[in-house]
Amino acid sequence: MEYEEAKEKIVEGLKKKKGKTKFYFNDLAKILDEKPRAAKKLITKMIEEQVLEYWSSGSTSLYGLKGYGKQAQAEEKE
Amino acid sequence: MAKHKTPLLDQLETGPWPSFVSDIKREAESRAKNERNIEYQIPQDVCEDLLGVLELSFKQGRTHWKHGGIVGVFGYGGGVIGRYCDQPEQFPGVAHFHTMRVNQPGGKFYTTKFLKDLCDLWEFRGSGITNMHGSTGDIVFLGTTTPQLEEIFYELTHNLNQDLGGSGSNLRTPSDCIGQARCEYACYDTQALCYNLTQDYQDELHRPAFPYKFKFKFDGCPNCCVASIARADMSYIGTWRDDIRIDQKAVNAYVGGELAPNAGAHSGRDWGPFDIQKEVINLCPTNCMRYEDGKLDINNRECTRCMHCINVMPRALRIGNDRGLSILVGAKAPILNGAQMSTMLVPFIKVEEPYDEIKEVIEAIWDWWMEEGKNRERLGELMKRQGLQKLLEVTGLKPDARMVQEPRANPYIFWKEEEVEGGFERDINEFRKYHQR
Amino acid sequence: MAFISSGYNPDKPMEDRITDIGPKKYDEFYPPIIAKNKGKWLYHEILEPGVLVHVSETGDEVYTVRVGGCRLMSVSHIREICEIADKHCDGHLRFTTRNNIEFMVDSKDKVAPLKEDLLSRKQPGGCYKFPVGGTGAGITNIIHTQGWIHCHTPATDASGPVKAAMDVLFEDFVNMRLPAQLRVSLACCLNMCGAVHCSDIAILGYHRKPPLLDHEYLDKMCEIPLAIAACPTAAIRPAKVDFEGTKVNSVVLKEERCMFCGNCYTMCPSMPLADDVGDGIVIMAGGKVSNRISAPKFSKVVVAFLPNDSPRWPQTTEVIKKIVEAYAKDANKYERLGEWAERIGWERFFEKCELEFTHHLIDDFRDPAYFTWRQTTQFKF
Repeated sequence: MEYEEAKEKIVEGLKKKKGKTKFYFNDLAKILDEKPRAAKKLITKMIEEQVLEYWSSGSTSLYGLKGYGKQAQAEEKE
Repeated sequence: MAKHKTPLLDQLETGPWPSFVSDIKREAESRAKNERNIEYQIPQDVCEDLLGVLELSFKQGRTHWKHGGIVGVFGYGGGVIGRYCDQPEQFPGVAHFHTMRVNQPGGKFYTTKFLKDLCDLWEFRGSGITNMHGSTGDIVFLGTTTPQLEEIFYELTHNLNQDLGGSGSNLRTPSDCIGQARCEYACYDTQALCYNLTQDYQDELHRPAFPYKFKFKFDGCPNCCVASIARADMSYIGTWRDDIRIDQKAVNAYVGGELAPNAGAHSGRDWGPFDIQKEVINLCPTNCMRYEDGKLDINNRECTRCMHCINVMPRALRIGNDRGLSILVGAKAPILNGAQMSTMLVPFIKVEEPYDEIKEVIEAIWDWWMEEGKNRERLGELMKRQGLQKLLEVTGLKPDARMVQEPRANPYIFWKEEEVEGGFERDINEFRKYHQR
Repeated sequence: MAFISSGYNPDKPMEDRITDIGPKKYDEFYPPIIAKNKGKWLYHEILEPGVLVHVSETGDEVYTVRVGGCRLMSVSHIREICEIADKHCDGHLRFTTRNNIEFMVDSKDKVAPLKEDLLSRKQPGGCYKFPVGGTGAGITNIIHTQGWIHCHTPATDASGPVKAAMDVLFEDFVNMRLPAQLRVSLACCLNMCGAVHCSDIAILGYHRKPPLLDHEYLDKMCEIPLAIAACPTAAIRPAKVDFEGTKVNSVVLKEERCMFCGNCYTMCPSMPLADDVGDGIVIMAGGKVSNRISAPKFSKVVVAFLPNDSPRWPQTTEVIKKIVEAYAKDANKYERLGEWAERIGWERFFEKCELEFTHHLIDDFRDPAYFTWRQTTQFKF
């Protein structure tokens, strides 16, 4: 999949999900309909371009659109 | 004069064992005096506030930390754990108190030059408090503010040629035992393999794309000093497949009392004279040893390499020469379905650079787990859910009785159609020719 | 406190960025004698508690002095370690997997001055900075997690109980009188960052109350779907809840399903579960990781709950001491604590350790519980 197409799919796909802004890697791979390794290359680029950002519970990692979500607001304030 | 009174913590400043309270106070004093004129990048009284908030926890029996998930260094999904104090007005010095994990060197060997460089950096840009080391093995920098994270990372990578470790859903910082560097039991070079895989899998370590955490640990022998069998998703445990090397003269020196058994590990009590029959032969789990007429005989084919005899008589017995490692997979700590030990997957594999054979197993497992693993499912749990057979299928490994404790005690085998002659398609009319309705 | 830049440009994070370089290579840090003799070691011997010699086929000998340490360590303390290593060990040292520090020298005559130097250094309250020991059939350093110093879900402190326990067990750190080595570990909650589940004695923090629900703020501060997904037992579900007369989005909790892991609190700060009375310590015993003689085993719960009696946790240290003394007195040479318990039978273990057997100690968690009940007529009176 081309990067721009993937980006569009992800941004659209994540904005659609109401009330939720953090997603597991597999949720993103599913949106892209790609095998994990291929999906990872695209997602890594989206991180580098600051489309996505990581969120870590320490033990688990999640992904979200940069700046979205209640945690982002709370932590910006801190 | 201390900023906060700490009457409870103060009670941990006596007794023989080193006191972490005295140590933090020492750091607090050092920062207050600032004899080296450092332009501290986080509050100078951070250690005082750390003691203050800890005293409050001692008093109330509750933690005062909150988790933060966003902080990190750019492009990495791991290596930083976000922490905020829930009493920031009272303890402003620790309002932000994030942790950084710094990938430790193999065998945890250091030069003082490198340690001092780390100390200088962490004193300048952080609290000056560390863990040497965290549970997974990393050097842990304990407590800094968000703006300092990138600065510290920049200095680590540019000035010290040093990277962060892992956290979250990625390959966690691999760790190893002291291995051949200073141990005669090591069956392979744990540090070389650990380093090679760590370097090869940097992307997996820094950019999370796994369902959950994944740990590599490297033990040089079945004594398992880094506990790989209990806590690593892939445990690499050294072993050998030929004969234990015997020095009969040394065996008799142990029998004669000239050498201290167990390398002197029991010298704190009088256990009586060494009795090879009672202490070695009878304790051998496979009964494969005999000592007769001053000669020790081992039936090596029956030996399961438990290390007991070698541990007891290290000057007489040595690991074999045809060495390699066993790969066991799927260990984890309790949450959720209970703890799991690693399960034998590859009984023996040679350890030879560039370790391609080992990497083939790793990558086959990852491909399976990344596709089939549920969110937050460890490898060991996926193995339980889909079965050891499935793991053999994806790794292309042949079933081997060494992989099980015992065969199954139920006959409920879910035969697949292709395994049964003629398949499952049958003609009911043909059947009815011989069996009435 | 002026901000001093490292050279990093926040507007262009990828500019001049170095990533994926990994750790320093191990052999940069080997002392010369280690570099020279790697893979050539013939045998080792513990000369006295805390002092080892390893002998190489080249004839070289390396002497190691092992000292205990707090894993929580200041840079001032690390600098003092470096000063010692510079003075005695040509600027080299290492740490063990159990938070001990090892100073290595290449000849026997260097051992005594090193040891003397180490033992002469004390903290203001009289604690050793560098107690020598932790070898052989004794108790080495306790590995542990963060506790109240840094963790957001601990049910107990870590450094505090460890200090208290090591003070009580100190004689066995500097001695080797036990039947075999005895490993003590601490994890401050059941998530077990410290993987204590295979220790001879494990000190485990445990919560006993489900999280509080801060309905007023829950929906403002948390993404409810994440809190729900975080729960390993599916005890949380979304709900409209009455708050001071108005309906607010929040969650409700099936309390009997909660296993007190705190994973929801990680995702949602409006679900704190720390509690001064609810939180405390579980004692587990009989685990090991070594394959020596018997297979590795899990630790078993032997005391269901002890309170957080800070600052010195006397009830916890008393139980540990009782187990250690019963084991020291009764076990055979080479027998690990778990092997001893299995040989004499767990019914005898509770008797000899003077511990009460309670209903909480009978497993009732999912399928494997059944396999821990007794299905034989063989038992001891």
